[in-house]
Amino acid sequence: MKMNFRLKLGIFILAFFTLGSLILPLFNDVDPSQQGTYFKNLPISGDHLLGTNTQGQDIFWYLVYSVRNSLILGVGVSIFTTLISAVLGLSAGYIGGWYDRIIMILTDSVIAIPSFPILIVLGTLVRGNTNFFILGLILVIFGWAWGARTVRSMALSIREHEFINTSRFSGSNTVEIIFQEIFPYVFAYMVVGFINSILFVINTEAALAVIGLSKVEIPTLGSIIFWALNYNAMFIGQYMWIVAPVVATVVLFLGLFLTSTGYNQMFATRRGHA
Amino acid sequence: MGLIQYIVSRVGAYLIVLFVGVTITFFLPRLMPSDPIEGYIAQMQNQAGQSMNPETIEELRTSMRKLYGLEGSIVDQYVDYIKRVFISFDFGPSLASYPKPVSEFIFTALPWTLGLLGTALVVSWLIGNIIGLVAGFYHNSRWATLLEIFGVILYPIPYYILALVLILLFAYIWPIFPLSTTILPGPITWEKINSIIYNSFLPALTLVLAGFGWNILGMKALSFANKEEGYVTFARLKGTPSRTIMFSYVFRNSILPQITALALSIGGVFNGALLTEILFSYPGLGLLMRTAIGSGDFNLLYGTIIMSIVSVATAALIIDLVYPLLDPRIRFR
Amino acid sequence: MKKSFLFTVVLALLLVSVGLVSAQEMTDVGTPRNETLIFQTFDRQTQTPDQHNPLMNFAIWRGFRELGWGFLWETDTGTGESYPELAAEMPIPLNDEFTSFEVRLKQGVYWSDGEEFTADDVIFTLDAYRELQGTSTWFGVARINAYVSDYEKIDDYTVRIDTINPAYDFSTVLGVYTWGSAFIIVPEHIFSQVDNLAEFRNTYPVTIGPYTVKEFDPNGFWQLWELREDWERSAWGFLDEDGYMPQYILYKDYGPEETRSLSFVQNAYDVDTFMSPDSIKAAQARNEYITTFSPDMPYHNMDDACGYGVLMNLQRAPLDLPEVRWALALSLDLANVGINSVNGEFVASPLPMVDTQILRPIYFEPLISWLEELTLADGYQPYNANWSAEFVDTLGQMGAQDLPEDPMNFGIGWWKYDPEEAGNLLSSVGFTQNADGIWQLPSGEVWDLEFVIPGDWNKVMQRVGFSIADSWRRAGIQVNVIQVDNAEFGVVQNTNAERVTMLNWTNCIFTPNYLNSWNNVELEYVNDADATDTNSGNQYQWSNATVDQLVKDAKQIETTTEEFRQIGREIIQQFVTDMAYINIMNIPTTIPTNEYYWTGFPKRDNYYAVPYSWWSSVKEIVANIEPTGR
Repeated sequence: MKMNFRLKLGIFILAFFTLGSLILPLFNDVDPSQQGTYFKNLPISGDHLLGTNTQGQDIFWYLVYSVRNSLILGVGVSIFTTLISAVLGLSAGYIGGWYDRIIMILTDSVIAIPSFPILIVLGTLVRGNTNFFILGLILVIFGWAWGARTVRSMALSIREHEFINTSRFSGSNTVEIIFQEIFPYVFAYMVVGFINSILFVINTEAALAVIGLSKVEIPTLGSIIFWALNYNAMFIGQYMWIVAPVVATVVLFLGLFLTSTGYNQMFATRRGHA
Repeated sequence: MGLIQYIVSRVGAYLIVLFVGVTITFFLPRLMPSDPIEGYIAQMQNQAGQSMNPETIEELRTSMRKLYGLEGSIVDQYVDYIKRVFISFDFGPSLASYPKPVSEFIFTALPWTLGLLGTALVVSWLIGNIIGLVAGFYHNSRWATLLEIFGVILYPIPYYILALVLILLFAYIWPIFPLSTTILPGPITWEKINSIIYNSFLPALTLVLAGFGWNILGMKALSFANKEEGYVTFARLKGTPSRTIMFSYVFRNSILPQITALALSIGGVFNGALLTEILFSYPGLGLLMRTAIGSGDFNLLYGTIIMSIVSVATAALIIDLVYPLLDPRIRFR
Repeated sequence: MKKSFLFTVVLALLLVSVGLVSAQEMTDVGTPRNETLIFQTFDRQTQTPDQHNPLMNFAIWRGFRELGWGFLWETDTGTGESYPELAAEMPIPLNDEFTSFEVRLKQGVYWSDGEEFTADDVIFTLDAYRELQGTSTWFGVARINAYVSDYEKIDDYTVRIDTINPAYDFSTVLGVYTWGSAFIIVPEHIFSQVDNLAEFRNTYPVTIGPYTVKEFDPNGFWQLWELREDWERSAWGFLDEDGYMPQYILYKDYGPEETRSLSFVQNAYDVDTFMSPDSIKAAQARNEYITTFSPDMPYHNMDDACGYGVLMNLQRAPLDLPEVRWALALSLDLANVGINSVNGEFVASPLPMVDTQILRPIYFEPLISWLEELTLADGYQPYNANWSAEFVDTLGQMGAQDLPEDPMNFGIGWWKYDPEEAGNLLSSVGFTQNADGIWQLPSGEVWDLEFVIPGDWNKVMQRVGFSIADSWRRAGIQVNVIQVDNAEFGVVQNTNAERVTMLNWTNCIFTPNYLNSWNNVELEYVNDADATDTNSGNQYQWSNATVDQLVKDAKQIETTTEEFRQIGREIIQQFVTDMAYINIMNIPTTIPTNEYYWTGFPKRDNYYAVPYSWWSSVKEIVANIEPTGR
């Protein structure tokens, strides 16, 4: 089983971000979110690798902490949403009947109710008592349904495949069928879904920051974008302030994506196709 | 289970979803700590000139409370509300803009949102899926990789920033589209339709691009997986031309989850509507929702949220009913 | 075939866009650009664009009060003095108690449909207010009914109006204080034909001002006004001296600041509302026609009636202790807050009042020596008279341009930034610091301070709020910032149970008549610390018996007398000693103008009115501006 180039590159990018954002803060003793630590709007220099922003914060250090916090939040939430959607989607699709209908009503209700206004209402309810745990919980609540429905429709289609019947006739039970026969087919989609979920978390967190549900004083990729937009960074010429988090988000996503597709290819090779 | 039973069960589920949605919608905003009357009173107090004496404030507060029907227990309000919504589709008066009825607001705003976001949704879905299909089917060729990279880079950019970049490009640096939306009043004429298209182009483009990336990636993963299926290999061995394989075999099977995805992304569209409409001052439901939240106008908030629940649930129902036609493997048992 | 179709579509789209672009001379709404004065709307979008019936809550930010209407008396925003508009002269008191007045109306003022304005209109409106008591959503109805006891028509141009209480503010309540009037006179000949006044929308109103509604966006983003042919005989045609008024005036929303700033640079509109300082700078660098109020720092007009300050729940522990409130004031690093949030473009004010050119000589200058000698209970002198000079130095080090010669342009001074003294004050009432340097309550729990600020519906306040919280955090106070929406902001402001501290701007005084804001800082309006009933008065919820008496005394005195003003200074001293409200700065009203098409806007060297687009000052602006001919 040989790692392909995609997978290697993807893992490299992920390792770079993860290790970098976890290790670098050990060498820094200034709270990056404190305003007016330096003069504002300083250009790029040896002291300030990406310059300082309009609030007198160091953009580089703020970004490092942001990547770390966003990664923790994104991965944590996505593990839960992916698991929940896989379990519910697969079981609903395969078992069918009343069980399927109840799960689907639940899923459809969560999907049909536009999350934004509800999030805003929730935001005003928890008010200042938001912390990362509550934020993660809210993101999980809104994040699982989409994937569950997609996985279910895949399962629904796959269960009509002949090999499932073969398997059934050869005496496998439901759980075995779901996990041994259906799951591998759905897995490729789930990995994409997992990546999607991380991005969903990062982007939703940014949107929540804008409506005041997230803690915008805590550095995240969302809060950095929130502040840059708030100060109209693009227009006032503070390009680094907005470009840096966007590039970081894109590269981070690229890493996740390459890892997943690379893994997919490797998986396909192992199954003996392609 | 026959076809009729299938349809009945789907419609039943649909009604239950609506009911659950409407109920959640009723209770959640009630818990909001904002109050349209206090909002209005604060606004008036804040106006430099007219400080109000306490008697005035009390007087105003009492009369508005009575006018808005905010008296009575929450259960009474709920029962009354369910009756009104399901029987006469009446959401009551807007609180912040009393006595204008909420339905009037919704019917002014709805066509804008549906038109803009519906178009953007379908266009981005179609183009995204075709690109994804091609990229997945010819996954080894160089331009398939290029297309994929395009999707990968486009997808994670936060929508708000993507839209701003497009605005900078097409309305400022190369100003071929307007920066803000201007909708002229009066009857529908060719000129007016023209002006609407001209004013809607940029918001629609940002939405198309924003939805694009995900469709490319999703479709690519699916078509890549499906092209390794036994029946595809069989067709290939049989000597079927690869274009036919792509469309008749891979596409037909890969598109199913993507159709579900299309139906479901309509819910997300209303979320996207908030940002698009705010950024472009585009007069739709999203802007209405935001105003309602800002001013604590929960009648208006119910109305807009229920409207989007109805649209999304209806779309899902239609897809559910059409689905068996597209995937013949699903038999009715 | 397919390709050629696509090509045609693209070509058509390009032609459409090019066609509209090349018609630069026209506005989006089809009027000649150089005859149209365009304001960014104050509220972005209105939900009630067709509602022009002033007996109900109406679209108040669309020029209605300024362009479409006139009031009995107006305020000259440059001097703060009232002048007659629809009235022929100032009200004539008929008794010594100041409860009965004769109002003489101008003759020869006409509604836009040609009917003359007479006493019948005034009487009809007062009748309508009585009739609509309890059903009207317009605050003025409740306000006037709680103010006026009786009235009578004397002849076609004279009415007598009696008030319930002594009314030294008669001309600003029945007329204008700064922003508009509670008393909007409607045309009797139109409104008497209407069956249900509460449901009448008056979509295309018969106006008394020089402009009429030409068109409006049903979605509420813009409204276009057109000059009346007979504008000279309208309510305020007399303000104009050169015989020229803009043919069209458009109020339109150009979107959030990100897109609006781009439109502004493209000369799409003339007057902006509250663009943030950094964006204005960037816009000026891109377009030489964009100007600010003054070429020197702090660049903007700072004469708004309202200021930003921290409103506290004075009864909730530990904020019930003056030591704690003083500690908050002394650990607020105002220079840093101002630089990070508004680029240093502001005027600091240590007194609970805005430091404007009208108020400074009356209330600030006489109190400077008192401030300098002010001592807290522990002997500490909190006032920093040098604050402004030091601030100018700091700005200089940062490389700021256009610094003023007189540091007092940034205010007379502010409190010292002294976290150490703040710590002493906190320790003196039993607070302790934990291992991380975070302040704990005397009970040993961490002091978790809730601080409510506006969300992005008021970006400047949002930034100021976060900067203040940052400042407090550095002093070891754990602050929980809560951003709220507009309506919730009102709830927090008016409900003790919801309020701990909040950034607020409702302390508004424009003319030397401070009772406008302080008329109810009285004991009877103070609710319990955790009351869930909304407060109706005394927005500070401050129980101070001395102030209570001072306010009651002031209500019995004519507002222009020295005695009245002396009482005001005594109230201010009480405010400061108790630190009942931490006033911070005047609202930095950043109103940049684009002088490509129009010139003659109010500027520091041409100060005939405040430059705001949402006050009566618009009348003077419209009468004074001139086309550039471009």
